Amino acid sequence: MDRRTFLSYNAAALAVPAALTTYAEAAAASGLRPAPIDFSGDGPAPGSFPDRWICGSESLMDNTDPPVHVHWYNSHTAILRQNKAYSFEAPFAPLYFGNDRVLLLDEGFTQLRTNWDLRGVVDECIADWCKRHVRDPASLELLVAFSHLHADHYAAVNQFADRPNTRYMGLTHEEMLGFWGMTDFPEQRITLDLGGRDILIWGSPGHVVSEFAYYDSYTQILYTGDMFYRGRCYITYWQPWFDSMARLIAFCDEFPVSHVMGCHIEISRDGTDYPYGTTWQPDEAPVQMTVEDLRQTSNSRRRSPNRASISPAPCSSAIRPAASPRSTPIPTDTTDAFVARISGGVRMRKGASR
Amino acid sequence: MPLTRAQGLERHAFKAVIRRYLAACPERSMPHTRSAPGSTQEPAPSPTPTPSLPPTFAGNGNLATGYNPDGVRHTDSAVPTAPGGPVRHDYAATGPAPGRLGFRWINGSIVAATNTDPRVQVVQYNEDTFVLRQNVCVHWEAPFVYLLFGNEGALLIDSGATANPQHFPLRETVDAIVARWCQMRGRPSTPLTIALTSGEDIAQNQGLKQFIGRPRTTIVPPPIAAMKAHYGFAGAWPGATGMIDLGDRIIEVIPTPGTHRDGVSFYDPYCDLLFTGDLLFPGRINIGNDRDYVASLIRLRDFAARNPILFVLGGHIDMMFAPGRFYPRFATNKPYERILQLLPEVIDDALRHAREVQGRDMMLIRPDFVLFNGVSPDQRTSVWPEGVPQITPPYPF
Repeated sequence: MDRRTFLSYNAAALAVPAALTTYAEAAAASGLRPAPIDFSGDGPAPGSFPDRWICGSESLMDNTDPPVHVHWYNSHTAILRQNKAYSFEAPFAPLYFGNDRVLLLDEGFTQLRTNWDLRGVVDECIADWCKRHVRDPASLELLVAFSHLHADHYAAVNQFADRPNTRYMGLTHEEMLGFWGMTDFPEQRITLDLGGRDILIWGSPGHVVSEFAYYDSYTQILYTGDMFYRGRCYITYWQPWFDSMARLIAFCDEFPVSHVMGCHIEISRDGTDYPYGTTWQPDEAPVQMTVEDLRQTSNSRRRSPNRASISPAPCSSAIRPAASPRSTPIPTDTTDAFVARISGGVRMRKGASR
Repeated sequence: MPLTRAQGLERHAFKAVIRRYLAACPERSMPHTRSAPGSTQEPAPSPTPTPSLPPTFAGNGNLATGYNPDGVRHTDSAVPTAPGGPVRHDYAATGPAPGRLGFRWINGSIVAATNTDPRVQVVQYNEDTFVLRQNVCVHWEAPFVYLLFGNEGALLIDSGATANPQHFPLRETVDAIVARWCQMRGRPSTPLTIALTSGEDIAQNQGLKQFIGRPRTTIVPPPIAAMKAHYGFAGAWPGATGMIDLGDRIIEVIPTPGTHRDGVSFYDPYCDLLFTGDLLFPGRINIGNDRDYVASLIRLRDFAARNPILFVLGGHIDMMFAPGRFYPRFATNKPYERILQLLPEVIDDALRHAREVQGRDMMLIRPDFVLFNGVSPDQRTSVWPEGVPQITPPYPF
């Protein structure tokens, strides 16, 4: 570069973006507004589940995995799964990104940021996404919602109490419904617009009263919470559970569903039940299920509505007394014994005992 | 009349007490009744679970109570229908507004020096009500601080036991909560009032210094004369009541001297909560003036007869889960703490036993609190209350 070129060169134009702290500011300074991401399109957005999730370890105190496994299903969808060494519940928590909002569904089983910092992980995911898509993280509103009113799904809410631009669900039935503006639970289906990406939400009682099903129109994942997942579906209220199953099936008839996804995995690839409280699941089944699994389970329920049974579908069901869910003392040998004990006789699955 | 053994046990069966409480208040036993058109279902109380199970296990709800209770309207939708303008919340409640203290409080650690808990624990009761607790390892008093929001302003009740914001970042935490709440309601900011349950209580007035110079902030002056003038009690103390209007949520101020000369209690008619500070809490209550103390409890009893009260929330916890057992002063590891909330029946119990200690230098143990009158706060007694089971809690480690 000769002296004349140097003097006429607009150094400021080059220097400005580097001096700005956020990509969005840089984009704004250069006169470029990021084009909104198009979440429409035919068919489900492509995405993938990992072959293996972080799933605890033989010795918990020697576990070196991070507290939460963050998996990017696709560019706009992250799925979080808690390390079994941090809680045997190891719930899943999808994080859906839209142009205006981010939706965190469920949380890990952690209360204080000093135990493990879910909010920090979510902030990192948001920063990561914003970096890739040239946004300002401060411009995105975070919605923290949960599938149902159990602590392994909502325990971390208070971590978000002082996070700017954040709304989260309250811990009563009323506040949960009010959060989505529902007036006719559970039939009413509401649409949450994340900014070009619609989430459909409706009631799904049965496991508990206060539960929702969430459908993401972009990935077409149907998130069924603890009402239907690959493991022991604890049913507190039979008839509402059947009704909720029918509602899910009717939804699947109406809308395309790529995967059905629950909140936990409690079963191995070969169909062995991991007993309640297991903290190491080296051979666990995948979290995602198919619509066919849902239909099959619904049908097998119809045939034996009054007894707990292990179904050929990936989800087994267990009657649980309404007043004492998981607090019921559980025999340490097998969960099937638990099922049998409280229901007075079940169809046992071969090889179910561990 | 002393409680029988069975009654004493039942006091601790939270669910039974709630049921009895609801049965005793027929007009409130169905707080959120509004039958949906065409619904054949009997309208029933809110399916909010009573906290008789640990949070992990609670929350199954109750089918008999209906899916769509009236209390739903107390939540502003996550997807505002009219974005842009400030949301005006409807604070008119037929029963207590839905809300929940669903979490265990941080309660110190075996080695205070290596404690890793947050310095201020925040627990949301509902969208407009927050409970904050100071870390036990920052100050053993571990006071509770309450933050209430209305349409025209917020109210901070009490301010913690530590002035140094490095050790106890109360202002920073409150500012962040207020900022998020304002964003949620579409407001640029909201004024803050800071009121103390007692200006002379050094376990509750220290954090006040952090708020000096904060914009749009009113601090109720701690000196007793200035405080009385502020609420308009001049001449009428302690018979009159004052009020703090937060905008559609009017907090009533009730003079309750007894542990401190300038003690006041606050009543929130939205959530039906009574904030009693040092006067009545699950812990070691040091009575300063027993005549005032009894008079204040009579005032609270009469108030409770006129107004629905869901919980009495005090400023500290010293009691353990085992009835009548409590942690000594300066304890920094309290793994078996009792829960914070007291049921309104505790007012009658406190009044009955405050009369018993009136005029006598003694301590008196009750299942949910201990009264110290004219004796050292470290006083001990061999007298155990009749009908209360004697459970020795395990040594913490």
